Amino acid sequence: MARVSIDNGDLIVEIEGLDKLWSLKSRLAIPLGNVRGATADPGMAKEPKGLRAPGTHLPGVITAGTFHQDGERVFWDVRDGARAVVIELADERYARLVVEVADPHATVALIERAITR
Amino acid sequence: MGRPRGFDEEAVTAAAAALFAARAYDGVGVDDLVQQLGVHRNSLYKTFGSKRGLYLVALRWYSRHVLVPLADRLATGADTERCIADLVGRNDLDLLLLAAVERAPADAEVASVVAETLQLLQRALDRASADRGRITLSEILGERLRARAVFAPSDDDSVD
Repeated sequence: MARVSIDNGDLIVEIEGLDKLWSLKSRLAIPLGNVRGATADPGMAKEPKGLRAPGTHLPGVITAGTFHQDGERVFWDVRDGARAVVIELADERYARLVVEVADPHATVALIERAITR
Repeated sequence: MGRPRGFDEEAVTAAAAALFAARAYDGVGVDDLVQQLGVHRNSLYKTFGSKRGLYLVALRWYSRHVLVPLADRLATGADTERCIADLVGRNDLDLLLLAAVERAPADAEVASVVAETLQLLQRALDRASADRGRITLSEILGERLRARAVFAPSDDDSVD
């Protein structure tokens, strides 16, 4: 599970609990100018993930860490795909973030408000 | 950018406009977009950024390629009755109506596209009926809403 917030022009993604260990990350800070959008997408977790490095992939349990696919780097932290949000980035180390949040619709609204301001 | 998209962006945009015109925004999931537009999920994200990004591109495409020609046709004043009957009887106004009701109050960019498009139609109607002024744009939009409110199962409703 991740906690998403906006702080001083940055999108902050904090990885909570033990997922920090599996994903080998505890916090990402992305300038809002590099955030292209966010989408609640329960179907994303069923897509092929590509190659994991580094991180953890226990199919059906957790997808966490950095995955490489089609020349893109994607950060995952998802246990329950139903609550996955896809955050598309530009000019960042990651092409997109796929994170599980408590309230996908509220998270999408938060990000959209922040980037359309 | 670099690699070619691998799909026809305009065709995908047009198909998305049709999808968003027929169903509520929240009722169109990324699964629906991936299946009905025939585009890979990652390509969708890479090209449009988000579902909202695709929606905005589709709404602007629709305004430019569907409503501007309709407004132009209406503005000639040549066949005003026919134009108005088409606006009420066909589904060309539906995405505009749905956007006005659903997304515009929640999204400033959608609100601005809707406002511009309504102004465009208003100007066309003013020119078409300058000498008559019988039907207003609000009446046309209302008539379309009433025409749409008739139960008419479509092929989309069948499960096969």
